Amino acid sequence: MIRFENVTKVYDQTARPALDDISLEIDRGEFAFLVGASGSGKSTFLRLVLKEDRASSGAVYVAGQNVAKISSWRVPRLRRGIGVVFQDFRLLPQKNVFANVAFAMQVIGKSRSVIRDTVPEVLKTVGLEGKENRLPHELSGGEQQRVAIARAVVNRPGILLADEPTGNLDPTTSMGIMGVLDKINQNGTTVVMATHDDDIVNEMRKRVVELKNGVVIRDEAKALYTSMIPVVGQSRRLKDASGRDLAPPAPGDRRPQAGEERR
Amino acid sequence: MRLAFILGEIGSGLRRNVSMVVSVILVTFVSLTFVGAAGMLQLQINQMKGYWYDKVQVAIFLCSDGSTAAGCATGPVTPEQRDNLQTLLESPAVAQYVNDFQFESKEEAYKHFKDQFSNSPIVDSVTPDQLPASFRINMKDPEKYQIISETFASQPGVETVIDQRQLLERLFSAMNAASLVAVSIAGVMIVCAILLIATTIRLSAFSRRRETGIMRLVGASKMVIQLPFILEGVIAAVIGAALASGTLWAVAHFFLGEYLSKQYPDTAFISPGQTLILAPALLILGGSLAGISSLLTLRRYLKV
Repeated sequence: MIRFENVTKVYDQTARPALDDISLEIDRGEFAFLVGASGSGKSTFLRLVLKEDRASSGAVYVAGQNVAKISSWRVPRLRRGIGVVFQDFRLLPQKNVFANVAFAMQVIGKSRSVIRDTVPEVLKTVGLEGKENRLPHELSGGEQQRVAIARAVVNRPGILLADEPTGNLDPTTSMGIMGVLDKINQNGTTVVMATHDDDIVNEMRKRVVELKNGVVIRDEAKALYTSMIPVVGQSRRLKDASGRDLAPPAPGDRRPQAGEERR
Repeated sequence: MRLAFILGEIGSGLRRNVSMVVSVILVTFVSLTFVGAAGMLQLQINQMKGYWYDKVQVAIFLCSDGSTAAGCATGPVTPEQRDNLQTLLESPAVAQYVNDFQFESKEEAYKHFKDQFSNSPIVDSVTPDQLPASFRINMKDPEKYQIISETFASQPGVETVIDQRQLLERLFSAMNAASLVAVSIAGVMIVCAILLIATTIRLSAFSRRRETGIMRLVGASKMVIQLPFILEGVIAAVIGAALASGTLWAVAHFFLGEYLSKQYPDTAFISPGQTLILAPALLILGGSLAGISSLLTLRRYLKV
């Protein structure tokens, strides 16, 4: 569903690349965590999928399409196939729950009757029945994030990108959100979630892709936040998505530990 | 659905930004009023030129019933006198200065008079008898007016010889200068209006960046995102243009129609209806200026 082929992204010629020759594939229906310290390239990864930025080299494929070859007037169509959720929810404060979700359908020209039918259904999926008429400030953080998720999936995208969706939420609420994301994943949507939250990653046991300084240093199925393989001297070898060996981490490299870099 | 959505967005944009929208309306109103004033002066010049101005330079008016000039002692011009004048005009001595000439009978004079003074009350009190017949002469060289004047002024049956250009040229050059001034002021005001529209659209785009960001993420097309902003500017400018058109109409109706035409009954003034032909031009000018400047602003300040 999402494939990166030797993707490098350089924002500033003098600094190191944000993503450095990344190759990686996320299949249809998969649930993948993207972990790593701030500045490791997680957000750049998500931006490239959305064609918010262009890869400096290499190719990014989304649903089989090379995004570099999508003309600018077709980008909206690409984005209709991708839902996005953020740490800060990004709800419209003057619109109620129903209107916030309906907004995503209005702007792509869905008819009123379709909106009337679909929105309550999606709100039920995210567990917000009966709160259609609340305004965002009348909701808890977890509920606001559920509205944001509902808005992201109301147009039935094939991919859901979540950029630290639990970053502002307490652990219990976070688990509730993860339940919603898991349910959406069960319905066939590919979910890619960037996160710092070790509890969630450890609880979910999904695929974990770890980035460090723009390089994939770990890609394991059903993994924990930190690697289960103990680091033994210099002998630890890492494999990327294509099975190639990666250079062992340089001495002094330290993986972010639980609780570090959390915002 | 999408249309209703876009209209709703425009409405909320206009409400949120009332003071800026009002200033855009006023600035376009003032600038387009100046543009329209220049247009009105040109219309007025055309009106005063009447039927003959662009075609001939010299008019030889023939005696009619009430003429008091020396050449008219024998009463109204006789057909013989007229034929003599025509022969004289065709004679080599005069013909070398003349491109061509036309005879305007009393009936034709009445017809042209009615056209020119259609907006003036004077038209009802004039009959064909009161208007003199004339020869209208198109000169090879308008500077040679004196020759014609000297040749014909003393001929029997000629009331007077007039160089129409000399009479009106000075007035027209003053009016042309005035319309040039109006156009210059309009130019400055239009620059002002364009910058103000650009600023307004920028502010509007900034205050709605949440919405547009979400619209972008869920895959709204460029048109759905940008159109509300562009139409916001265009609507404000079109309201300004409509006010300008209304003002021009009011000037033509109350100042020219009710006041000046009574002060100067022998001058032909444009009618209020004629100013309305300027209105579509002003509306299109205002709308397209706003549309283009908002489009250019959005290209810079609204990522799509």
